[in-house]
Amino acid sequence: MGNKGAATGFNLFDAEERVLAEATALRGRLAEAEPDVRAGVAALAEAYGRSVREQRRLVRVSDRLQHQLASVNQELAKRRAEAEEALTRLREAQETLVQAEKLASLGALVGGVAHEINTPVGIALSCASHLADATAHMRKLFEADDIGIDDFERYMDTAADTSQLILGNCERAAELIRSFKQVAVDRTSAERRQFNLAAYIAETLTSLKPRIRQAGHQVEISCPPDLDMDGYPGALSQVLTNFVMNSIVHGYDEGQSGLLSITVEECAPGQIRLVYADDGRGIADEHRNRIFDPFFTTRRGSGGTGLGLHIVYNLVTGPLEGQVSVDADGGHGTRFVLLFPRRASGGESPAP
Amino acid sequence: MENLMIAATERSPEVDFDFATGRLSLKGESYPEDASAVFGPIFAALERFLGDAAGKDVQFDFDLIYFNSSSAKALMNMFQLLDAAAGRGIKVVVNWHYAADDETMQEFGEDFSEDLEHVTFNLVATEG
Repeated sequence: MGNKGAATGFNLFDAEERVLAEATALRGRLAEAEPDVRAGVAALAEAYGRSVREQRRLVRVSDRLQHQLASVNQELAKRRAEAEEALTRLREAQETLVQAEKLASLGALVGGVAHEINTPVGIALSCASHLADATAHMRKLFEADDIGIDDFERYMDTAADTSQLILGNCERAAELIRSFKQVAVDRTSAERRQFNLAAYIAETLTSLKPRIRQAGHQVEISCPPDLDMDGYPGALSQVLTNFVMNSIVHGYDEGQSGLLSITVEECAPGQIRLVYADDGRGIADEHRNRIFDPFFTTRRGSGGTGLGLHIVYNLVTGPLEGQVSVDADGGHGTRFVLLFPRRASGGESPAP
Repeated sequence: MENLMIAATERSPEVDFDFATGRLSLKGESYPEDASAVFGPIFAALERFLGDAAGKDVQFDFDLIYFNSSSAKALMNMFQLLDAAAGRGIKVVVNWHYAADDETMQEFGEDFSEDLEHVTFNLVATEG
């Protein structure tokens, strides 16, 4: 500060410097004017004494300030440790919530399975019941030795029709169970395997059909049939489920139905581009750059956790090794674009 | 002479020198990067005022919550200036305000008053 002091004509140590100059001058005059020198030396001693007292005070000032600083630093370190601890707990809680959210959507999938299997099982059951009735009736006629040709022919027709229906519907049910089982296993195990993309998208969408149908939406899937993937189908299924559930919950007004579409292409060799779109109300501009943030929701009050798209983001950038971006124009629907490789990096998966 | 009013900044105190009534005050925090820039004008005004204050009553209120070493030195210089003026017959009262729970600021006040022979120095604790 000495240099700047010269500019303003102010110097904290002005007095000390003046005394020092006087002392130097006095030393030169020491031989000649003794009374002057004595008075000068006395003043010098007094000023020096004052200066020393000030120095002492300043040292105490400095010590106290350093002591304060040390306490503040200690407090800061404590607070920092507390904040880090809180952050760790928060991350753990967030992880738990993400897992809970995944399980909850698996629960929705199980609900969809039950609903979907209900139809073929119901048909098979009523056919079997009808066949049992017809058989009991035939037995009665047989025991009474009263079977006519017509009765027998009618029974044969009934048996043929019902058994075919039973077989067809049981096959349908078995097929549904097989694909749901695969989706459920993929979703819970997160294991890598080979799968056909078109078939897998269809299986996932089948499990969501009851919810989509209930909302009155149409679904269009456009995917080349020959895209064999090697990666994590569970992650993909979860991503599509979250997109569809978001469209159903957020995309449309009550009673309004729309078109959901999934369009897949191999945009470059080994690179998949999947576009999920709806034609609903879209995402507000002010929300768009926050939708992938954890806990961001516009529906907190009505059960939204704000984790759906956060999970999507983590799955796409994690297991799928890709990127996801949103492309929304207020009132013209929502479009999510996923880019990910056909083969996840790392070791080959075993043949299915 | 013209009163001196300087608003507080984040690192320098509020200056309120009312020369007509002889009431002066410094209030706030003082840890400027350039102590000369902050205290230069204060000293210039104070020196002029005290040089011309014969027969006046001066009351100087210090209400500081934090200051650095340079500011402490400047404060001591200021007290010397005030003590010298008091020695010349000007009635000078210094009130050193500190928060009742701030021991450090109280001790600073006690320290600073040690060398004063002519000034009336009051330690004033302020509650909460």
